[in-house]
Amino acid sequence: MISSFPPGLIMIIGALLIPFLPHIIRQIYMLVLILVSSYALTLGFGIHYKIEIMDIQFIIFQSDSLTLPFAIIFHIAAILNVIYGAHEKHWNQHAAIMSYSGAAIAAVHAGDLFTLFVWWEATAFTSVFLILASKTQRSYRSAFRYILIQVGSGMFLLAGAILLMSETGNSEFRSFDINSLYGQLIFIAFGIKAAFPLLNGWLQDSYPEASEIGTVALSTFTTKLAIFCFAKSFAGTEILIMIGAIMTFYPIFFAVIENDLRRVLTYSLNNQLGFMIVAIGIGTELAINGAVAHAFAHILYKGLLFMGMGAVLYRVGTCKASELGGLFKFMPITAICTIIGAISISAFPLFSGFVAKSLIMSALGKEGLVLVYFMLLFASAGVLHHSGIKIPFFAFFAHESGIKTKEAPLNMIIAMIIASALCILIGVFPSYFYEILPYQIHYQPYDFSHVVGQLQLLTFAAFAFICLWHFKIYPPELNSTVLNSDWIYRKMIPGVLLPLLNLINDINKKIELFIEFLFISIKKFFANTMIKNKVFDREVGQDTLIVVQLFIILLIFIFVWKIYL
Amino acid sequence: MKYLIEKFGKINTSVLFLCIIFLILELIGHRYGETSIEDILFFPAFFGYLSCIIIFKIGVSLRSFLMKDEDYYDK
Repeated sequence: MISSFPPGLIMIIGALLIPFLPHIIRQIYMLVLILVSSYALTLGFGIHYKIEIMDIQFIIFQSDSLTLPFAIIFHIAAILNVIYGAHEKHWNQHAAIMSYSGAAIAAVHAGDLFTLFVWWEATAFTSVFLILASKTQRSYRSAFRYILIQVGSGMFLLAGAILLMSETGNSEFRSFDINSLYGQLIFIAFGIKAAFPLLNGWLQDSYPEASEIGTVALSTFTTKLAIFCFAKSFAGTEILIMIGAIMTFYPIFFAVIENDLRRVLTYSLNNQLGFMIVAIGIGTELAINGAVAHAFAHILYKGLLFMGMGAVLYRVGTCKASELGGLFKFMPITAICTIIGAISISAFPLFSGFVAKSLIMSALGKEGLVLVYFMLLFASAGVLHHSGIKIPFFAFFAHESGIKTKEAPLNMIIAMIIASALCILIGVFPSYFYEILPYQIHYQPYDFSHVVGQLQLLTFAAFAFICLWHFKIYPPELNSTVLNSDWIYRKMIPGVLLPLLNLINDINKKIELFIEFLFISIKKFFANTMIKNKVFDREVGQDTLIVVQLFIILLIFIFVWKIYL
Repeated sequence: MKYLIEKFGKINTSVLFLCIIFLILELIGHRYGETSIEDILFFPAFFGYLSCIIIFKIGVSLRSFLMKDEDYYDK
């Protein structure tokens, strides 16, 4: 029994003790919890733990070649989060991160949709505290919107699970048909968490409002859990190719004009999810490997970039490009680690992004999806622009902001160095990395064409940016709000609904007045008839009433007589 | 060379030289792409440069109607 204890669950249960432990012991305790949880990954593939309640099977712990890479990277990310957040003395964020990571790991190992639903919602309820941890009015509001949308996604999942159960008699978490109603409901649930176009507003709305530690954790689990679910249930679903291509494409423009560098990273996150979604849509072994490899590498380099910006936020108190600049001399290690993250996400050879993205691009090329291929190639240049250059350049170089600060705390530096080292190791030794992917395929990312083509693409895109900046064509960053799809529920719906409600209210009042008028008129009419010698005069009225009563009795008598005789 | 560094800066000049090196590399070896269009000489270089300019241009043009005051949602 203890050997088949579901990974992640120990972290959730263990998180209950976190408030009662002193700071240093708490940090060690959390690392131990993660290591104990990771032991379950050594048990091999298959169903390890299931329970049956009222003839319904709940598969709590199952593993296969798809769960393993996600489980590994989720555990690594959980360790990095603990190290990165070690300077935080208060227990609340630590407890949230531990239970949030645990819920995501447990969700990956769920074998049925009801178990997945429980962990799905658990990730929402645990992660919302990381947004609340900022303790600002904006973060409170954002957290409220976040939890509504996340729970809403869970409701779609639950509805899909119930429908599946009623139609097929089981709720196994497996491949689903997009043409079925339950398939569509589950697809929407996953799509909300994967921040599909127009469903993505919550991502840019909430993540940048979280604490510096919280954003790192948030960037790891929720969206990648959705990617895992898509890979498991909708691999080869063609519509995903176009959805993913759009996802890679449009956030670039938003990222270019966004001023808050953590929000820029959320657009970039959206764009990277697009690459994974495209690969899942293709559905071949090479493509699925590409999606998983990209998710794995992305957790590391995006986490690293968020760590860099979190360190800047922690030290300087802002992440706005318009207010930053020239921090390299004060935070050189943070800057170098952020640059490594930026190089990785841009997919320069010898870094993790290159070995992961190459799989997806090759899969696209092999399938002959030329349009999508060029959309993703365009997006690759965009990634270099907004994440590869914009993030490190505006934070650590650009202009002299006059800000004087000091290097990030030691724990943050350690976490960033480990993440940087992993980004490089994956890039230098891709064959070891490819071994943990779901399918064993032979793929060589480092051939002359790949390397030279990619280097030309990236260096010339960088040169274009340099020209724009050097010749002062690039406009200055401005303090602003960039409208995104969250505008629909933050401005448009209230903007349409409130006048509509006011109109309904007005009509309602007018109807009330009319009824009142009608009532008064009728009252007046009858009042006039009740005066002396009129029909309803008290004395005459009594006689009239007797006549009416007699008439009714006569009617009842005829009715009964007709029926029974 | 000195003039270039003075006018353009050290880092910018280095990137320019890297660009030239990667173009020369293509002339030395045989580069092929995943699609036949990519086989055109220096295609990735053109594509990368143009993409960056297009992204910039579209981004800047979007500023006029996507960019609002910082307290837009708080009003």
